[in-house]
Amino acid sequence: MSLEAENQEIEDSMRNLARKLISEKEVDVVIGYSKGTIPMSVSPIMIKKVDDVDKLIWSNLCYVNLAKYLVPRIPQLIDPEKGNLKVGIVSKGCVGRALIHLAAENQINLENIKMIGIPCNGIINRKRIEKEIGEREILEVYTSGDQIVVKGKDFEEEFLYSEYINELCKKCKVKSPPIVNDYNESCIGDCQEIENIEEDFSDLDEFEAKSSKEKWDYIKETLETCTRCYACREACPMCYCNLCFVDQNKPVWFNKTTDLPDIIVFHLIRAMHLAGRCVACGACSSVCPMGIDLNLITRKLEKIVKERFNFTSGIDINSPPPMTSFSMKDNEEFMLEED
Amino acid sequence: MIQKILMKNEIGKFYIELAEDYNIFAPVNEKGSIVFKKILNSEDIVLDYFNSKVPPKEILFPKTEVLFNYTIDGKDIKIEDRDDLNEKNIIFGIRPCDAHGFMLLENFFGFGAVKDEIFLKKRKNTLLIGIGCNVPKSTCFCTSVEGHPFKKDDLDIFLVDLGEKFLLETINNNGESLVKKLTWLTDPKKGDIQQAKELSKKAEESFETKLDLSKIDKILDPNFNHPIWEEISEICIGCGTCSYLCPTCSCFDVIDETDQYNNRGRRIRIWDTCQSCLYTQHTSGHNPRGSCIERCRNRIMHKFSYYPENYNTLGCVGCGRCVQLCPVNNDLRTIINKINEIENKKEEKVVA
Repeated sequence: MSLEAENQEIEDSMRNLARKLISEKEVDVVIGYSKGTIPMSVSPIMIKKVDDVDKLIWSNLCYVNLAKYLVPRIPQLIDPEKGNLKVGIVSKGCVGRALIHLAAENQINLENIKMIGIPCNGIINRKRIEKEIGEREILEVYTSGDQIVVKGKDFEEEFLYSEYINELCKKCKVKSPPIVNDYNESCIGDCQEIENIEEDFSDLDEFEAKSSKEKWDYIKETLETCTRCYACREACPMCYCNLCFVDQNKPVWFNKTTDLPDIIVFHLIRAMHLAGRCVACGACSSVCPMGIDLNLITRKLEKIVKERFNFTSGIDINSPPPMTSFSMKDNEEFMLEED
Repeated sequence: MIQKILMKNEIGKFYIELAEDYNIFAPVNEKGSIVFKKILNSEDIVLDYFNSKVPPKEILFPKTEVLFNYTIDGKDIKIEDRDDLNEKNIIFGIRPCDAHGFMLLENFFGFGAVKDEIFLKKRKNTLLIGIGCNVPKSTCFCTSVEGHPFKKDDLDIFLVDLGEKFLLETINNNGESLVKKLTWLTDPKKGDIQQAKELSKKAEESFETKLDLSKIDKILDPNFNHPIWEEISEICIGCGTCSYLCPTCSCFDVIDETDQYNNRGRRIRIWDTCQSCLYTQHTSGHNPRGSCIERCRNRIMHKFSYYPENYNTLGCVGCGRCVQLCPVNNDLRTIINKINEIENKKEEKVVA
């Protein structure tokens, strides 16, 4: 099936499910994606009326992880009388994983959430395409056959879809949200049974082959243009702390300047906080205004967690994330023995 | 006013001559993004670009700026004078919208009795050589905010891109005395001046976005508690992209870093954003702008209500950076239209 047909099918079934949920009053609001005002973007939308359901779209630019709006719940999703509104949420695999992981960390209750599961077919790496197009304005983007077509005033270029999606999407094993055993009802639409995932981390080979110095240079070069706008943090469904470590000011824990050491400290500590928690949605990199690619760093941490704890985040609501639990069987060969 | 022709292949010569007395900042391509950088080699200058991703405000108002260094000797504190404030700068290739942004920043840093000497001194020592926008982006809307793709009055020297060459025009005495030194510049032909006029007209006509901002401050003022703010802020994730990439946003935080082992320290200012939860947090823990709703409202109110009230001009230059780079596409143009609708709906009701 061609990409357009696939997307159309996803969009139709998503709208039908959303319509059903709202008209049968199973949810108060559906969070999904709507058409953006600029070609390389889409806009999240909250739908409360059946009439508005047709504003929902699915395209390969739906890069925002919608789980973000539930932790902490934005005030618009809390009714002063009814309390938490019942929410339907358009869920590609990584949105589903985020919701399940947040439930595992006791941040949300899946009981009043309905995942509208969709089989995601990969998100376009918009930063990469923007870089390659350079100083020409993109006015239209669409998928056709196996190509991404990018048009401007006096140019039209095609990018091979399978090559120009996010690196994380290329390796993704969870296209649709996983089914949660205790909450069978929470996922409607396209969901999948997942027990254990055989991850393919070959995308890290190149990075791992580097010497320590080369790795360090890579990290420095990647991060140096950061403006510390924190779009990565704010787009990340796992960054839900009331007060981020880097914002602590009583006392100040870390310096806040854009000097390279301070930038690196922020990003590396944030990455550490995501070890065993990142759901590989790639939102952090998709939203970065400076086009910084943070995925490789978090991906490396996921690999370490997988190897040492055989853990994949956002699959099972009952297995606690390894960094928040202690087991006597945990390896501790790095501990130094007393003389 | 002096009009001259600067050939594009003479940019190197232009640079070398001016670099003797000035730090020259110009657009360069850094990892696929256009940014203004201090030029060390004229070949790095990019002339074919829409606009920089980060506005050139960062040259005079950097993301991180050491206000001063100090050393402590017993009870004596010695503040080291900054010696870079008197350096002369040229910002080459700035767009008219960003030049207007500097004018708005001057309003802020020069407001009231206590003036920001650091910014104002640097601004005074900086010449702006701007280039008109032959091809504005579809997200540009300077013509809706009292601007123009060929607006000259915020610049010292104005250039029009005529393909192989620039038509150079001095706007004030500063620009004139600079150009007088460059004796090798040739005079323009009549056709060049005509071509520049046509380009200006064509650029003006190409604008797709036309926003009505004539009444916005009057609409905003009484609608501080309107439910529209919930709608406008609904999808905002609360990052600082819009304000950090805004050529007129000027908020900053001041912090002291002390090195107690070496008896020294530095006072730094860093960019701050009204979208951050800490921005208005009181020591008590209370936050008058507790959620995204109040923070989004503040950003719009500041640009389109408070700014006109304080300085009698809009606080937005229409560069479209926040439109292009908002992570969730919360488009400022849509927001403005929604605000205008408040009034239209009211009028409809009255008629009915």
